[in-house]
Formats: sequence, structure tokens, C-alpha cells
Amino acid sequence: MSGQMWRAVAVYRFVTLCYAAVVIFGNDSHYAHPAGGILALAAMAGWTVFTIIAYARPRGPQPWLIVIDVAVATGLIISTRWIDTARHIAHGAPTIPLIWAAAAMLAAAVRGGPWAGMAAALPLWVGDLIERQSLPTQSTVDGLVLLLVAGGVGGYVVRLSLRAEAATDTAARKEAAIAERERIARGIHDSVLQVLALVSSRGKALGGEAAELGALAAAQEAALRSLVTGDSTEPDTETGLMDVRGLIEPLADAVITVSCPATAVMLPPPAARALSVATMAAIDNVRKHAGDGARGWVLVEDDGAAIRVSVRDDGAGFESGRLAAAAAGGRLGISHSIIGRLREAGGSAAVTSRPGQGTEVDLRVPYPG
Amino acid sequence: MSPTPAEPVRVLVVDDHPIWRDAAARSLAEAGFVVTGTARDGAQALRVAAATSPDVVLLDLNLPDFSGAEVTRKLLVAMPGIRVLMLSASGERQDVLDAVTAGASGYLLKSAEVAELIDAVRATAAGNAVFTPGLAGLVLGEYRRLAHAGDARAAGRDRPAAPELTERETEILRLVATGLTYPQIAARLTLSPRTVQNHVQNTLSKLQLHNKAQLVRYALERGVE
Repeated sequence: MSGQMWRAVAVYRFVTLCYAAVVIFGNDSHYAHPAGGILALAAMAGWTVFTIIAYARPRGPQPWLIVIDVAVATGLIISTRWIDTARHIAHGAPTIPLIWAAAAMLAAAVRGGPWAGMAAALPLWVGDLIERQSLPTQSTVDGLVLLLVAGGVGGYVVRLSLRAEAATDTAARKEAAIAERERIARGIHDSVLQVLALVSSRGKALGGEAAELGALAAAQEAALRSLVTGDSTEPDTETGLMDVRGLIEPLADAVITVSCPATAVMLPPPAARALSVATMAAIDNVRKHAGDGARGWVLVEDDGAAIRVSVRDDGAGFESGRLAAAAAGGRLGISHSIIGRLREAGGSAAVTSRPGQGTEVDLRVPYPG
Repeated sequence: MSPTPAEPVRVLVVDDHPIWRDAAARSLAEAGFVVTGTARDGAQALRVAAATSPDVVLLDLNLPDFSGAEVTRKLLVAMPGIRVLMLSASGERQDVLDAVTAGASGYLLKSAEVAELIDAVRATAAGNAVFTPGLAGLVLGEYRRLAHAGDARAAGRDRPAAPELTERETEILRLVATGLTYPQIAARLTLSPRTVQNHVQNTLSKLQLHNKAQLVRYALERGVE
């Protein structure tokens, strides 16, 4: 970024040098010392080449070089007094370097910011007063104000863009660090999952105490796996919709298996939350009532008309005739308030069960709109 | 078709974790399979498979060099008759789905019990699809996604139609996804277990065929020979 700015200063210096050359060659017949004009032009050309090379260093010029730059520009302005005739100057003839002199001010602004830019404007203005041999008048004060504004604004813009660049740079570096950390975490998670999976499957095969260790490993393995999947639990910033998977996937453990599509299942947040609360209630029910060793399965799907969550267990189950009584007794664990929230979102819940064949809870919320 | 007891199933075990690789190879050998070799990454798997021509490749989803889908595709191109059973520890959904649409005939979590693993390898060798509830959920979701994508570009005519599930297939996949075994599903729907197995197999074949058609179309559009 600052390299580009030095290139911009170089281009400005070169273009204004060409302009000054045209004016000097056009006017040299009127000069008191035409050779002086050529000499000044040669000095400007030499200084232009020198600064373009010196300022292109990766770290930019030293402050003292900028001071010399401003001094050279000021000196060239004053040299007009000697090169041109007093009459021309009195009639408002331009200075020899013309706007080439402002390049030094630009360089100061790029190097040191707004204050440096304004400070560099001052000697240029004083040089101009000396050249005209006049005291500050209304028009020269106006000129000074213009120079100060140009130097200040130039420096300010440079500072601003450098700061913006630094901010983008930091953000990009942070992002890269996070991505790298996630990559490492994935590798570690994968290795830990391998070991937990191995302990759990071997342990179960060995039986006895090893089986208990296996069960512990299986519980941790399921917890870590649902963590790794890590779908977003925040509403999408653009659509305001929420991925139901992010709420339901974490409910998986060694007893409960959760199956989801690979793509997001989006619902408005109230509907998504109502669905996940109802799912949690159904899962609690599996743990409490399905009996020892029972397992549960949760399927999240989009059936084309509604988002559907099915919770099934392979537990004891109960007779369908007793369903109403069971619901009244809170046996299902899905309270009226939970069903109510689901209904508010336009959804519904159905429970079926047969003795010895487990219980199935079917929760649906139609698409919004 | 399926190897007789006289011809033991030949298995190649591919996994970058040595503990798991050795444990799986030992369990399979104890169960009467012939482990033709082991490999630690996709490139080595392709070399060893070419040299030993196994019936089944037991393939870890997360290999250091290629994705599970890439290894599956390359294996099937080199040896069309080979069957790939995917295994993963983390169950990354998109990776699993990519691998089965690329042609893997089944998927198992690494936490499966040894007996489950052995049954799965045997089923895979016999040409049966090995589904976990998680895979059934993924396959259901994929058909739904393809149907949505098909609706969205119904105007485009030359696209291959999105594959669809029959009502029976949807019903069976939903039961697999909620933890029922094939015999349980057969009993519930009064079908033969073989029929249930065929329906499940079909859901996978249609996806794989669609995926292959898409790859060919993509290649033609890009001017690849």
C-alpha cells in the first residue's frame, strides 16, 4: 500500500516536471538568465530521478531525506527571483518549478501524515514570499491555506488507508489462524474418536469390566462426534431462519442416534426451537420409560411439505388404548405446553406405540409461508 | 455371485491410524476373512488393490491424501467389480454422502461392534448395501435436495431428471433411519428380508447412477474426452 503511494508521488513528480519543462522552454527568451532556467530544470530532473529511486526502498525514505526534499523545492522557488526578471515576477509570473514543488509536500504527507504534510507546506509558502519579495497579502494567505489543506488532507487520507490496510491484514491473519486451529482440531478430534471407537467396540466384545470401559468410551465418542459435526445454532443473518440440525444433532449420545440430511433444514427460530424442545421431551421420555438397554433414534427430514422429526425407541412401548390416559398422566413426558408451542408454529405431534414394539413420536412443522 | 464358504472373502483394510488398521485386520482374520493387505493412504490403497484384487475394500473416510469419494471412484474405475465399505470415526455428513454417491456400497461408524463390522463386510461382499440410520437420513435428504434442485431449474430441459424414491422406498429408508433392522422392517411391512434389502440397494443405485450421469455431462460440457 505505501509502496503504491510512493509510486503515485513519483508519477506526480514526473508529470509536473514535464509541465515545468514546457513552460521553461516556452519562456526562456524572456528570462533574465535563460541558462539559469535550463540549470534549474536540470536540477529538478536530477532530483526527480534521485527521489524516485530513493523513495522506492521497501521501507520508504528517511525523514531527513524529506526535509532535504522540501528544502530543494523551496530553493528552486526562490531561484525564480534570480532567473526571471523582477517585472515579470511583479506581474505574477509563475515560479520556475511550478506545481512540481508540491511533490515534496506530498512526500512529507505520505511519510509523516497530516501534520508533516502541513509542516512541509509552510517553507514552500515562505519561499514563495521571498521570491515575490512581498509581505503576506490576502491572495498569498489564501495560497497558504490551500497548501495547508492539501498537505493535511493528503496526509490524512494516507494515514486512513494505511490503517484500513493494517486492519484488513490483521483480520486476514486472524482468519488464517482460526482456520489453521480448526484444521488441527479436526485432526485431533479424528484421532481421539478413533481411539474411543476402538476402546468401545473392543470393550464390548471383551465383556465384563472391559465392557464398562467400552460403554464409557462410547458415551464420550458420541458426545464428541455430535460436537464435531457442529452445525450453526444461530439464525442465518440474511434469511433469519435457523438450521434445525444445529439444535437437534447435539442431543445424540450413546443411547440416542440422530440422523439428518447433509444440507441445512431451515425454519423460523420459534418453530425450530419448538421442534427441538418437543424432540428433547420425547428423548427424555425414551430415557425414563423405555426401559433398561432401550435405544432411541431421531430422524430429521424435510418431506417436501413439512420439516419432520421422528423419535423412535425399541423399548417396552404400551397399548394404544392407554394412550389418552398416559398422556393425561404425563407418562409421555410431552407436556401440553410443548405441544402448544408446536401448534403455535403450525405444527403437530402424534404418538403411536404397541406393547413390546417401542414408541414412535412424530413431530411436524410445515414450511413457513 | 457371493463367495461360497470354500472361498473366503478377500479384504483390503485402508486406514491411516495404525491401531485401528491392525485391530480391524486382526478381527477380520479371526472371523475367517483373508486380509490381502493393508494401506495407510489412498495412493497405497490403489496400488495394493491392483496387486491383490480383494473382494471388499474397508476404507477409512479421512485419509491423508485423497477424500473417501476420490479413492472410491478411482478404485471402481480400476476394478469395476470391487466393493467399497466406508468407515469413519467422525461421520462428517457430506463426506459420507459423497463417498456413497461415488459408488461405495455401504457405511459404518468405527464405534460399531466387531460383530457388526464382520456382518457388514460379509453383506458388502454379497453385494448388499450396508446402511446405518445416519446414512439412511443422508440418502433421504439427498433425494429431497435433488428434487428441490430439479424444481428450481425445471425450465432447463436437457438436464437429467432428478432421481425419485418410490413410496415404498421412502417408507423403508425412514424405518432404517429410525433404527429398525432389515428383518424388523420385513416383519412390519410383511415383505421378505430380501425384498427390503433390494429396495434399500435401489435407493443407493439410483443416486450413484445419477451421480455418474452428472459427472459425464459435466465432462462433456467442459470438453473433456
